[in-house]
Amino acid sequence: MIICDGLTKTFGSITAIQDFSLTIPDGCIFGLLGPNGAGKTTTMRMLSCLIRPTAGAAQIDSLEIGKKEDAQKIRGMIGLLPEVPGLYETLGAYKNLDYFGQFYGVPKQQREESIRTTLTNLGLWDRRSEPVGGFSKGMKQKIAIARALIHDPKYIFLDEPTASLDPAASKTVREYILELKSRGDTILINTHNLSEAERICDTVALVKNKIVKVGSPKALARGLFARTVSFTLQKIPSTLMKDISCLEFVSQAQVKGNQLVLNVRNPEEDNPRVVSWLMKQGLQVQFVTEEEHSLEDVYLKLIEEGGQ
Amino acid sequence: MRWRNAWIVMRKDLDEFKKQKLVIGSIIAMPIVLGVVLPLAMFVPMVTMVPLERPYDVDGLLQIGNLPDDASAPWTNQTVENASFNATVFNHMTLMNTHLSNCIIDSCVLENTTVMDSTIQNSSLSSSYLMNVTVIRSEGTGLDGRYILAVSSSLVFTKTKPSEIDLVLPMMFNMVLMIFIIVPATLPTIIATYSIVGEKNNRSLEPLLATPTTDGELLAGKIFSAFIPSMGSTLLAFTLGVVLLDVVLIPKVGYPLLPNITWILSMFLLAPTACLMSVLACVLVSSKVSDVRAAQQLGGFIVMPVVVLMLGVLSGFIFLSPVIICVFAGLYGCLDLGLFYFAKAIFNREKILTKWT
Repeated sequence: MIICDGLTKTFGSITAIQDFSLTIPDGCIFGLLGPNGAGKTTTMRMLSCLIRPTAGAAQIDSLEIGKKEDAQKIRGMIGLLPEVPGLYETLGAYKNLDYFGQFYGVPKQQREESIRTTLTNLGLWDRRSEPVGGFSKGMKQKIAIARALIHDPKYIFLDEPTASLDPAASKTVREYILELKSRGDTILINTHNLSEAERICDTVALVKNKIVKVGSPKALARGLFARTVSFTLQKIPSTLMKDISCLEFVSQAQVKGNQLVLNVRNPEEDNPRVVSWLMKQGLQVQFVTEEEHSLEDVYLKLIEEGGQ
Repeated sequence: MRWRNAWIVMRKDLDEFKKQKLVIGSIIAMPIVLGVVLPLAMFVPMVTMVPLERPYDVDGLLQIGNLPDDASAPWTNQTVENASFNATVFNHMTLMNTHLSNCIIDSCVLENTTVMDSTIQNSSLSSSYLMNVTVIRSEGTGLDGRYILAVSSSLVFTKTKPSEIDLVLPMMFNMVLMIFIIVPATLPTIIATYSIVGEKNNRSLEPLLATPTTDGELLAGKIFSAFIPSMGSTLLAFTLGVVLLDVVLIPKVGYPLLPNITWILSMFLLAPTACLMSVLACVLVSSKVSDVRAAQQLGGFIVMPVVVLMLGVLSGFIFLSPVIICVFAGLYGCLDLGLFYFAKAIFNREKILTKWT
């Protein structure tokens, strides 16, 4: 479990992140979302014991991130994928992985097996000795992820794991991340890719030099926006907008073509009442669907508010 | 400090160098060209052109200086005949009224020794080293000094005019020796700057810093990866150079001149301290620049303390004797300590990630 309590990092007069407090439970995929310069990478670096917090504290499995004696143990538990793969371009994929396995103290036989399995899965076993400088961005990113996982870490920190990847490669990486989750690993992801975060993250924190909001993508949307239900009618009379104002549980109404879009407090209770009211008005209801707000809507709204 | 981790960093760097043909070429070619080819090009014409008039017999020891006031005479009134002195060290001793005849003095060291009112006849001095030997009111006849390893300039023990080769050799040896000090100070500017600035450019430092290695282990690994190839190739060139110079010079002088104590001290004391100084300075330079070539150009300034020594030697102000070698090695060692302190201060994770541009 990762517990952050008021983590703050300043560089001179610039505050990268302030009062970052949250708990990341074991076995979840936690996303840090935010614009450039929001302090996501700084936070990840502090949790990886690469930089020291200016104030506040954080614990990873009860080990303090600011303590020198705990730093090595924490780094040994974490697999970090930085923003840039940072591979040794003149060396082959095998050696790139092998060196890191040695740094993490992985026994030789286990290292060899792990590298063979990983490179075989990535379709790179036959090209294991070729300099990775000649590989595509996607391949490099996959090797970098494999490098972060070479020691089978309990915590996996991924900084923009699908940045600059094509859709197919992104999909492969996302599936790989979900597979890691199914093994029970705890994954912290920095990402700009909101649809990706929505698809794979259990919980997200919107960050803009401080935590703006934390929650599951759906909960954030629900907490932020009124729930919107769309009623598709066969025909919409011109007086409907005026008549519907008598329904006190409808906070907002608008007509889009033959759809009546209503903001309601509780769709589970309110939808049947709307349908029955519409039928009383002699209107035929063809479809009832709830419109969901995307994480992008949430992100834009919260970041805008957070910046104010 | 887990040396294993430093060793892994070094092996990784060396593996990377192996792929860089230019780096490898420089590491191997520079010492060979400067330490082997150039000296041979200097010595081969010399030994073929300069006439050799070497004084095999040392007769007529000259009286020089005055008797020291505090001279002790443990060897007073000794007469030794048909004796052999092997591997004996005469240091700060006085031989007074001592007469040696038909003696063999083999592999001995006579250092800071005074010989007074004595005679040495029909004796041989072989494989011995004489330094600061003062000879007063003494005589030597029928002496064979062909196999003396090294003779200090303060010893005057012959009336025979030294040959031209005797006058030129020490100066030329000094020049060649400087190459073996300059080279290990220069090579790290190629290797260390590449290993650190190259990683900065490649953005490969962050994943390395995220491993459970300590800052000290990473710094040690980086130092080894520049120090070991630099000293290794210098030592290789030194061995080759010494062997080839002896091969060239033995037919002319009759015995192997190298390596003498000065050369050995230079190679194992002065060259490593100069090399380490260069490595550490490169670590400092590399933290401030983001371009390998800029780092290498700045590295030119790193060898300034070595250049000072070289200029002193070439201008004749400094003669590379064991004492001078030790003095400069001590100076460089002190500089190394200071540079190590600074390198350790800047080589920490946070500064590397946030300050190194």
